[in-house]
Order: sequence, then C-alpha cells, then structure tokens
Amino acid sequence: MPADPPPPDILCRGLAKVFPGGVEVLSPLDVALAAGQTTALVGPSGCGKSTLLRLIAGLEDPSAGSILIGGETPDHMRRQAAISVAFQDPSLLPWRSLRGNIALGRKLARLPADQALVDRLIRLVGLAGFEATRPAALSGGMRQRAAIARALASAPRLLLLDEPFGAVDELTRRQLALDLPPLWQERGTTTLLVTHSVSEAVFLADRILVLSLRPARIVADIAVPLPHPRLSDLADSAGFHALASQVSTALARGVAA
Amino acid sequence: MSLAMTLPGRAATPALRALGGAVILLLAWELAAQRLGGAYLLAGPVEVARWLTENPGLTGRALAVTLWNGAAGFVLGNLVAMLLAGAALIWPRSQPVITGLSLLVFCLPLVATGPILRVLMGPGNAPQIALAALAVFYTTLIPLLVGLRAAPAVWFDLVRSYGRGRMAELRHIRARAALPYLFAGLQIAAPAAFLGAMVGEFTGAERGLGVLTIRFLRALDVPGLWAVCSVAATVSILAYAGIGALARAVLREPPPLILSMPSTERAPHALVSTALVAALALLIWWAGMEAMSLNPFFAKRPGDVLDALLIAPDAAETRARLGAALSETAIFLLPGYVAGLVIGAALAMAVTLLPAAGALVLPLAVALRSVPIVATAPLIVLLLGRGALGTITLVGVMVFFPTFVACLHGLRQTPGQIRDVFDCFAASRLRRLVDLQIPAMLPAFFAAARMAVPAAVLAVTVVEWLATGRGIGSLMALSASLSDYDMLWSCVLVVAVLSALGFAAIAGIERRMLSRLAPEQVRQ
Repeated sequence: MPADPPPPDILCRGLAKVFPGGVEVLSPLDVALAAGQTTALVGPSGCGKSTLLRLIAGLEDPSAGSILIGGETPDHMRRQAAISVAFQDPSLLPWRSLRGNIALGRKLARLPADQALVDRLIRLVGLAGFEATRPAALSGGMRQRAAIARALASAPRLLLLDEPFGAVDELTRRQLALDLPPLWQERGTTTLLVTHSVSEAVFLADRILVLSLRPARIVADIAVPLPHPRLSDLADSAGFHALASQVSTALARGVAA
Repeated sequence: MSLAMTLPGRAATPALRALGGAVILLLAWELAAQRLGGAYLLAGPVEVARWLTENPGLTGRALAVTLWNGAAGFVLGNLVAMLLAGAALIWPRSQPVITGLSLLVFCLPLVATGPILRVLMGPGNAPQIALAALAVFYTTLIPLLVGLRAAPAVWFDLVRSYGRGRMAELRHIRARAALPYLFAGLQIAAPAAFLGAMVGEFTGAERGLGVLTIRFLRALDVPGLWAVCSVAATVSILAYAGIGALARAVLREPPPLILSMPSTERAPHALVSTALVAALALLIWWAGMEAMSLNPFFAKRPGDVLDALLIAPDAAETRARLGAALSETAIFLLPGYVAGLVIGAALAMAVTLLPAAGALVLPLAVALRSVPIVATAPLIVLLLGRGALGTITLVGVMVFFPTFVACLHGLRQTPGQIRDVFDCFAASRLRRLVDLQIPAMLPAFFAAARMAVPAAVLAVTVVEWLATGRGIGSLMALSASLSDYDMLWSCVLVVAVLSALGFAAIAGIERRMLSRLAPEQVRQ
C-alpha cells in the first residue's frame, strides 16, 4: 500500500499577479507543495517563475488569491525567519568578507552566531581559503556559491532558490548538485528551485512544475520518483533521460500553447 | 585584480602628481609676481612666506578664530543634515518638503544672511558659526539622502526575506551604503564651512581671517592680503585632503561621484510639495520671529516683506531698485556661470584626449576645487579690477573647478563592459569620447551645474558686496549699512527664491537626462 503523500507545506489558491501597466504575469494558479520536498519550477524566460518565487517569499503582494505556508501567511513566516532566499543576483554586501556575508544569514534571522556552521557551509560550497576575501575579489560563480551558503546558514524551513547555479561553472554545478540536497533533506527543508536547466531540475527535484509562456500557468506537474541520495551516475540512467524528455516535451508544449 | 589590492599602489602616484602640480603652480605664481613687481597686484609665495614669518601672532590668532567658527559650524551643519536625512528616511513622504526647505535655506545669500544674523544673534561668533553651518548642511544632506538609498533593491529584498524591518535595513545596509556618500559630502563641507565662517567675518565680525582680509583689502596691503588668502586656501585644501584620507582609511570602495536627487514625484505632486514648501517656509519664518519676540524693526516678517514689495506706497520704487540691481547682477552672473560650465566641461574633454596632461592637472584641480574661491575674491578683484571682467572671472572660476573635476571623473567612469566593446573595435579616443564618455559624463555635468547655481550667486554677491559697488550684492551691503531692513530682507527673499528656481530648473533637466542615461539613479 503506497505511503500517504506528505502534507502540503505551501498552499497557493487562485494566485495571480498583474504588474502596473496591466502586464499579467501569472494567471490564477493553484499549487500545493509538500513539506520537506524539493520542487523545481521550469519554464521559458520571462514566464513568471521568479515572480511566483517572490510571491511565496512575501516580497511581492499577489493581485489575487492567497498563499499559506504551514497555515500562515508569507509575511508571518518571514517574521519567524522561516524563509530564506538565494537570489539570482548573489547580492553580497561589498563591505563584508565572505565569512561576514554568510554569517549575515544567521544575523538577519536573529539566530546566534555559529562559526562552525559557517565554516562548514564555506567548505561545502568550495570556498575554503577565501573566508576573509571581499566579494569584489571573487568570481561570479564564487559569489553565487556564497549566496547559496548564506541562504542555508539560517537553516530555514522554506528554502527558495532562484536560478542559484546560473553563474556557476559546470564542474562546480555538478558538485553542488551532489552536496547541497543532503543538507536540506537532513533538515527537512521544503525547497523551491527556479531553474532553466531541465537536467538540473530532474537531478535535484522530487517534483517538477512546468510553466507556460506569460501569463504563466502550469502545463505539466511531473513527479520525479528517483531515489535519494542521487549520485552522479544517475544522470546516465534511462529513468533520468525519460523524465528529462518528458519535461522537455512539456516545456515545448508550454511555449507553443 | 581586486580593488583592495590595487588601491594602495595607486594612492602614491596621485600624491606625487599633486606635488608636481603644486610645485609648478608655486613657480608660476612666483614668476608672475616677479613680472608684476611694483604694480601692487600680486605678492609671490616668497613674499607671502616672509610676511607670514613676520606676523605669526596676528595670523595665528585670526586663523584660530576662523578655524573654531568653521569647525563648530561644520559639526552643527552636518548634525542637522544627518537629522534631516534620518527624518526623510523614517517618513519618506516628508522628503520633498525637507529637501525643498533645505534648498531654500541653502540658497539664502550668505552676504545678506550674515548681517541679519548679526542683528538677530548679537555680537560674538554665533553668526559666523551659523553661516558656516548654513554653508555645509545642504551639501551633506543631499549625498546622505542619496546614499541611504544607494543599494540595489535585492539587498533590501534580502533583509525583508528574513522578515526584518527598516531598522535592520538601516543597520545592515543603509548606514554602511551611505558612508561613502557621507564622506563625499563631508569632504565638500569642510572647505565650505571655512568659507561660511569667512563670509560671516566679512560681514561685521570683530576677529578672524575674514576680518583681516577686509582690513588688508581696504589698506591695499598686498602681501598681507595674499598671505591671508593663501592661509585660507591651504587650510581648505588640508581639510579637504584630511577628510579624503580618512575616507580612504575607512572605505574600500572608491568615493561616489554623482550626487543626484532621487525623485519619482510626478508633476502634480511636485506642485503640491512646492506649495507646501513655500507655505512652511513662510510659517517657520513668521513663527521663528514671533517666538523669539524679535524687534520688527530689524526682524522683518513675511508680511513686512510682502508689504514692502507689493503694498507700501514706495513698493514700486523698491521693486524697480531690486529689478535694476538684479539685472546688473545677471549681466555678470550668467556669462560667468555659462563660461565656467562650458570651459570646465571642454577642458575635461580635452584632458581626456591627452591623458598625460590630465595626470598632472587632475590632482591640482581637485586641490584647487577645495579652495573657497570666494575667500580669494579680493585677490581676483585686485588682479582684474572692479569691473565686469573681475566679477565674471570670479563667478566663472567658482563654477569651473567643481565642473571640471566632476566632468573629468564622469568621463573616466564609463562602465567596464561597454569599454571592452569599444576596445574590441580598437575605437579611437575621439570615438570613445563622443559615443561613450560624453554620455557617461552628462549626469556629473548636470550635478555640477545644479550645485553651481547657489555657488555662483554667492560668488557674484560677495564680489559685489566687497568691491564692485553694483548689483544685488551691493544693494544688500548698502541696505545693511543704512539699516534699510525692508530692502535687505526683500533682497534675501528674492535672491533665495530665484536661486532655488534656477537650481530646480537645472535639476529638472538633470532628471530628464538621468532617466534616459542612468535610470538606476532616478530610482527612489
């Protein structure tokens, strides 16, 4: 007998967003994301993936509909420091060192300083040796890895990743895809990942939502029943390729729709 | 290579260049003095040094007084600026009113405010300190307002994503992001405070470098005059350089250049806030006078000035005198202002085409920019006479240095990635200048043009007050000495309003340019 699906952690009902000037970004969406799962949002450029992420983070107000995170509003959850976002732009503060920027994640969440955790995260994202370096002296990929570490530093209940590996080189990207999921899985973090990469979505996510062109609507909701932990040879498996093909087909359908 | 790694190495070279420029300047000055020997116009550095060694007590005492007044005004003015910036941050809707009122105060003609403050505050140093504070608070307020918002939106999103509020924004982002802007403001404020104190001393103080200047000008003591002005210039350069050095020690990022006012106000809102500013200014003026129960003979209320300008039997005559004086002033002011802007921008472009010359000229220009030109007004009058040439030159010089320095920085601040595109095509210097650097320079040019409006008004009124006997500055001097307070207050009101309108007109053009060329700077 199959196990009961995990309870929904994020519940969006009739969620819509129209920007000033009448630009409709999201047509009413109904989405339920399970607690502790990783969900990937894929879709064509400019379709509204990041907007959906910002709405869930409480950084934008919806034009219609509602969002509940664990039964509470995003604003309430932000005040509980339960949300953490790694933005597309690494947004590191130039006057803080790498360590200072990562520690800021805990400071802003009003958590006590935890040097050991910060050092562990620095090692995890492959930036050991650069602790005292300022962002100006780091490459784009290094900055982005630092931003991911900062997002993880507060051990959030909901982790929102907006194309977090966009500026990361291919080798590091593969390494991060191996190293990061165990971290958020061991904490039971609900993760929402915005990505352009189909293979990244299949590798990291438990579920993939494919969005159409703007105004975005969900054209496919694809479960990824691949076991964890996922190792690098998974990408060579037939199951992986079948899922990637399914997502690509859905994407093409979304663009054509 | 990282910025932090390149900075120390680069710091030494400009210092050497500045030294080279200073030596050339001193040599040229001495040569000119030798050539003009006996003309009672110019004392060279050797003669100035001799005069200073012979009169150390006199100079030292006067310098101490002016330094104290300037420093007290500097602290006071900057504290007010920080409080106002804080208020505008806490209550953003108050910003147009705060900046509007501050602009109006900044545009008050110091030469007339001085005597008025003297009768309001009595003898002593208070009027000089108040003038020094008035001279600095706006130049700190504006960069601070910009700096407190000078962070990418995503940094604020970051703080908000953790559910933190405005205090956390202020602590983690705004306070630190504003630091370079604060230092940029303080750097301009330091010589400005010294200038304010000196202008205060021009207009009726008992002690200080300004008093010595007036005394030597009247006695035609050429070495004394040049010595006092040289001391004033040196102190200003040192104050400017000292704050610059402090900024370099504290900050890692290069100082910001463009001090534009962020504004997203639409026309109807701008009209409402202008009306509100005018109403509040009149209310504060009236209430201040009433609260202190100041004698209406010298402490004129708005009603008295409106009466003098519009209702009184001699109102037409008052208006005619004011109009005539303003026309005389405009004849000197406008050509000097335009010439200062055009020559400043043109020379900056020329120096960009000849980088070797720029390397020598820029440190010198940055140093000379910090000299309170108005403090050297007597020298320019001495050299060029009391006619149109002297006045226009003084206004031009006052406008030239800040424009030249701002434009030169603007020309060099082209985005690296776009520069790479021009590099790929091996574009000529002229092509880069026309297609890349001039558009990048325009925001700096307009910022300089805007800030130059009150500076030019100050220059022209000071020189008219001190020397030429014409124009609105002279009318204010005459009204002060005849205790014609109706006329003096009318002059103050009209000059402040006209300066503020000139400033606002340039700011309007500037905003249009920025919204096209640098939209990120127009973001609220």
